[in-house]
Amino acid sequence: MNKQEIIQAVNQALMQGFEIPTHKLLPQANLFADLGLDSLDAVDMVVLLEDRFQMKVDGERVQSVRTLQDVYDLVGEVASRRS
Amino acid sequence: MNVFITGTGLMTCLGNNVKTVFQRVLKNESGIQFMEPWSHLKGQNCLLGGPVLSYDVSFLDRTVRRSMSRMSELASLASLSAVNQAKLEIHSLTPGRAILCLGSTTGSPETLEAFHKKYFSKGGPEGQLSVSFLKSMNHSVASNVALALSFSGALLAPCSACTTSSQAMILGWELLQTGLYDVVIAGGADELHPNSAAVFDIVFAASTHFNDQPQKSPRPFDVHRDGLVVSEGAGVVIMETEAHMRRRNAEPLAQIKGGSYLVDGQHMTQPQQTMMEQTMRSALFRANVDAKDINYVNAHATGTKLGDTTEARATYSVFNSKTPVSSLKGHLGHSLAACGAIEAILAIEMMKNNVLICTRNLDQIDPDCIQLRHLQHHENEQVKIVMSNNFAFGGISTSLILSNV
Repeated sequence: MNKQEIIQAVNQALMQGFEIPTHKLLPQANLFADLGLDSLDAVDMVVLLEDRFQMKVDGERVQSVRTLQDVYDLVGEVASRRS
Repeated sequence: MNVFITGTGLMTCLGNNVKTVFQRVLKNESGIQFMEPWSHLKGQNCLLGGPVLSYDVSFLDRTVRRSMSRMSELASLASLSAVNQAKLEIHSLTPGRAILCLGSTTGSPETLEAFHKKYFSKGGPEGQLSVSFLKSMNHSVASNVALALSFSGALLAPCSACTTSSQAMILGWELLQTGLYDVVIAGGADELHPNSAAVFDIVFAASTHFNDQPQKSPRPFDVHRDGLVVSEGAGVVIMETEAHMRRRNAEPLAQIKGGSYLVDGQHMTQPQQTMMEQTMRSALFRANVDAKDINYVNAHATGTKLGDTTEARATYSVFNSKTPVSSLKGHLGHSLAACGAIEAILAIEMMKNNVLICTRNLDQIDPDCIQLRHLQHHENEQVKIVMSNNFAFGGISTSLILSNV
């Protein structure tokens, strides 16, 4: 899966799971301040991404995620390790 | 202390507001239909249900909606309607002097099914969403309604299956009597799920012979009745003390004279006539009303063989054959935790419109239930005071007395 595919898939998961409009899905967007997610959403976001990409994300690594770019990077890391 | 109802809201298989539902009940319509998806379930014998057909909660913020199961959505819409009708400013309520008192039979069965399906397919809790628990906890309906209303205050989530919302209303009346509260938002909700029908079918209490004629069942008090039909919905009322109502110049819809809820402690599923009687008499005593002053009894009568007969005998022992009696289950099915409040709301409409709604599908009265003055047709009558009864698994009886204003 290349970077563009990851971005598309993550964006789609966030749109469907959290009703975030497309125009807000910018790499620099802060998940909490800009996209309106909270701690409960963060937990479910990880579940949705794990389900979408059939992967297991390290709980501690997730704690450092702040922006959408961080999410793309996190998924990319796990995907590249797996391949 | 005088307690009044100033707002009502409901969601039912016959409509999503009081006016529509009452008009359709007046036309003797039924909200029961064949549930095709259920016909593929092994061992599912009752294939009838009463779903709420359509509704929209998209106007609620996502963070409010995300923890809502279907039953919480129904309860929230009914609560918003009740609050609007009562013109109750939630934010102006004195902190600690208002209580939200709403329940359901269980947490969301749809969510529980999805949770367990995934749990067993994955061999553990992997992949479960955090909101699953928030939809399936026992006080989910009450907490979600608090979110929908932005209600801050006291909260209770009474739970007694088919008497949940009637018990919530009577409990609300009791709480207002203490002087500790000014306002109670009371009611209950349940969502339609095949398991709810199966629960009754397992004990031979669900209708199974009318799958090809959905609107012929349930048949309360009828000789050919074969069990209940489960539906879904929500019923919510705004109750307040007279002083509070007057202070804010609110209009009363009805007065709650009193009520009683008792458990028989004898049997989980077999209704006990003596306890039903005792509950009705206890409610009359608490309301300071004589049986002869009750103009109408709204029966629980779900269409089960044993339940209807026992209820008919208990009702006769309190009222003889003089007082008109009917059940609304033939129109609306059995909405479990919601039915008590929904039926109380429609009984208020009967008082306001001077008409008593008959029992739908009561074509031939069962000789075992014959003693009562059954309503087989609507009757135009001035109705001042009504009793609404409900009974539940677990041996619970509730009896609520309302008067017109």
